[in-house]
Amino acid sequence: MLVIGEKINASNRSVAEAIARRDREFVASLARAEADAGADFININSGMKNGSQEYEAETMEWLVEVVQGATDKPLAIDSEVASLIEAGLGKYQGERLIINSVTAEPERLASIGSLAAEHHAWLVALAMTNGIPSSVEERLDACEQIMAYLTRLGFTAEQIFFDPLILPIAVDSTQGIITLKTLEQIKSRYPGVKTVLGLSNISYGLPRRGLVNRAFLLMAACAGLDAVILNPLDTKMMSLIKVADMLMGKDASCRGYMRAHQKGILVD
Amino acid sequence: MAEDILALIKENVIQGRVTRDDEGFDEGLVGQAGVSELAKEALAQGVSSQDIIKLGLSEGMDIVGQKFEAKKYYLPDMLASAKAVGAVMEILEPYLTRSNIKPKGKIIMATVKGDFHDIGKNIVSILLRGAGYMVKDLGNDIDPQVIVAAVREEKPQFLGLSALLTSTMLRMKDTIQALTEGGVRDKVKVIIGGVGTSEEFAQSIGADGYGADGFQAVRVVDKLNTSRKD
Repeated sequence: MLVIGEKINASNRSVAEAIARRDREFVASLARAEADAGADFININSGMKNGSQEYEAETMEWLVEVVQGATDKPLAIDSEVASLIEAGLGKYQGERLIINSVTAEPERLASIGSLAAEHHAWLVALAMTNGIPSSVEERLDACEQIMAYLTRLGFTAEQIFFDPLILPIAVDSTQGIITLKTLEQIKSRYPGVKTVLGLSNISYGLPRRGLVNRAFLLMAACAGLDAVILNPLDTKMMSLIKVADMLMGKDASCRGYMRAHQKGILVD
Repeated sequence: MAEDILALIKENVIQGRVTRDDEGFDEGLVGQAGVSELAKEALAQGVSSQDIIKLGLSEGMDIVGQKFEAKKYYLPDMLASAKAVGAVMEILEPYLTRSNIKPKGKIIMATVKGDFHDIGKNIVSILLRGAGYMVKDLGNDIDPQVIVAAVREEKPQFLGLSALLTSTMLRMKDTIQALTEGGVRDKVKVIIGGVGTSEEFAQSIGADGYGADGFQAVRVVDKLNTSRKD
């Protein structure tokens, strides 16, 4: 399972403040901590302040520079605005790259899709047009539109990371199953494509959220999940990812699991 | 007799039980009447719909709010209670129109332009209805001009705006600006909410109130509603 570290996100208040005062060390140490904890990619979301477009672009450039200086891990550039992604790409020197994300909205597909094609990036595609659909069928419709568009742009299946999306189980008790069914369908309809989830939305509004998130990770792994966006400093979750890989037959001779044990990083 | 059944309605709002088949927050309640059976029974006994709302639903939701704030109740508990209130309001609707009872006030709700998050807005709408307000929900991704037109047409006392994205929070400011330009800003109290917003943010964009969660939103509206009448 590919782990995309989510910590560098301006929707987190302390990160937003560090970005605003251009606190290089704060951001760099966060990136290092994520890398040390086993993140494969470092996600970067620079947010949107009241500022001008130039300011926002400059913020993204600064973040990309600081994080690249702190770790060799590749980046996931996270924005819904094509010009901000472009700003980040301008400063990025790594080879592997994730762009996060597009939806089936034609304008975003056109602008962000072309950027990803041009840079041979992996692209996260959310199974929605406007607003998260509550049914499996509508989410798959969105995937179908995205798939058709990206194929025309020359994408390979392996470049596309579909996010089947999660709505809180506290609001609608069928949403866990809907996400899992969407995930399974995506994997069977589009051989070769990858899937990704931001897990924590499932437990919104519940007590003991970590427990719910971890359980759902295992269920999603079983339904074919390839990558996950989460906090890599969560040692229980990271341990469970090793377990999931092993139990899903992706860890020959249990090497990954045993290595994690030798390093003393497994927590139960 | 009326007191008994109103107490039962209140208790079952707290338990979040619509029908006799529903589980409640506490164990062992399946098989006992839920709020919809109780509300029909109360109406048959001649209890006024006003008393059902005030002494059954509102008092029940007050306790739910307290339990939520004390972290005894979580989101699913609160939503089950809100659903119970909604079920009773549906049963009472024909009686309310007939008896010409006025709601506490009218509120228009909307998620602003560019934002499609509706869970929070829907929860607030349900709780406001449960508290006795008439709520008109315009939906998601609503253009400022559509909101201005709705305020002009519906003449609500309150407007609730929601945004969850850092990129759409400022659309709330644009919407308030549009109300000013449309000459209706002083006709309506604007309450805002959503992840990322705060009391300071509400003040900075010229809103009248801020709700951190659904119950706080109801409290803020109640408070503004009282001062409006003074």
